[in-house]
Amino acid sequence: MPRSREILPIVVSLVLFLILEGAGFIMLRKSSSLQGMWVSRVTHHFMAGVWGANQQVGRYFSLKKENDRLAADNHELLSRLQACQKALSDLASEQRVQELQKSHDFSYLPASIVKISRNRQHNYFIIDKGSDDGVDARSAIITRHGAVGIVDAVHRHYAYVLSFQNAEVSVSARLGSEGAMGPLVWDGHSADGALLKEIPLHFKFEKGDTVYTSGFSSVFPPDIPLGVTGDSRIVNGAMHEIKVTLFQDFTALRYVTVVENLGREEIGLLENE
Amino acid sequence: MMSKELGFFGRYMLLLIIQLLLCNYFMMSPYMMLTLLPAMVLSIPLRYTTPQVLLIAFGTALAVDFLADGVPGLNVVALLPVAFARKTFIRWVFGTELFARGEDFSIHKNGLGKVSLVILLSLTLFLILYIWVDGSGMRPGWFFFARFFASLPASYLLSLLAIIYFSINDR
Repeated sequence: MPRSREILPIVVSLVLFLILEGAGFIMLRKSSSLQGMWVSRVTHHFMAGVWGANQQVGRYFSLKKENDRLAADNHELLSRLQACQKALSDLASEQRVQELQKSHDFSYLPASIVKISRNRQHNYFIIDKGSDDGVDARSAIITRHGAVGIVDAVHRHYAYVLSFQNAEVSVSARLGSEGAMGPLVWDGHSADGALLKEIPLHFKFEKGDTVYTSGFSSVFPPDIPLGVTGDSRIVNGAMHEIKVTLFQDFTALRYVTVVENLGREEIGLLENE
Repeated sequence: MMSKELGFFGRYMLLLIIQLLLCNYFMMSPYMMLTLLPAMVLSIPLRYTTPQVLLIAFGTALAVDFLADGVPGLNVVALLPVAFARKTFIRWVFGTELFARGEDFSIHKNGLGKVSLVILLSLTLFLILYIWVDGSGMRPGWFFFARFFASLPASYLLSLLAIIYFSINDR
């Protein structure tokens, strides 16, 4: 009891100090843009450190599972590599060679997610790669299961990514390997649901058809499998709207790949002309 | 007792007015700032609890921010840690006897050396925070150090005068 009598005033003082000091920082942030930017920068730096430490603890406890997954990935990639090598040796057409060269117009960079939001309409996540690592705004974020976001803002060591589960994000997608194209958007509620819109009525498709990235935006590379088609409905008597079950489960998202279109600037210049 | 209370607050308000005048009319150089705020916080009688001192310091700093410095929050952010650490500094320098006897410190009773040390500790904490936040990471390191080492002796002399003024009744 005497001990608690000693501790209580210290706790009260500490809480009051933190409240008043916090009020001071809020006033400072609102009163001057320079100090405001500085407070934001220090706060972001601090929060990034906290999130990073959080993630590291989480990762430590899931290392075994992660190693098993990596081993399975490795095995699958080796199998694919062997199949690709065989297919490549059989290919002779110039068109195919050009397609492969085109795919080299993208650079790839592995990254980890340090913070993610899943329960909003405007979800986002933060990755541990920034401008120092060569990440730019408008870079694409993919996983081996599909497209997961677009970089919106970049700091030196971190980047803020608009998740595919964000009302503002759409991915240019294609039905099958040579089918109709339309924007693929999140359905707004499920962890692996999306809607493929603006598919012309005359186009035939089946449930279970695979949806790929079209490659017709300067953000995502072509031919990344995104998901499979489900039920559909006709909108305004003119277009199909198709439900798509994504391959990527956003609740299990942790490691991603940043994809940079090396020709985006040139494409942008051409578009502006 | 009542007159003694009024005496303390009257002198405290006078020093606050002097601080406002210093901020508004005696900014001699961007390298030097004159502050009495840490000395004012130190001079609050020891019978006041830390939460009470924190609230007094908050009000004082806010007044200076709004009426003189023009950046609300700047003095608040720098002065509150001094108010929070005040009893710790006093305990380090003077020991626990002051608290046991319920007395306030003064140059007359405790000597110039110890009073100077507690003033310098408080000023150092205040100036580091103030200059760091004021510069917002935009100023180079040499400017930070130049401003700190120019402001510390000047503010120390002023603070010493303030402490002497506060302890006049103790003689």
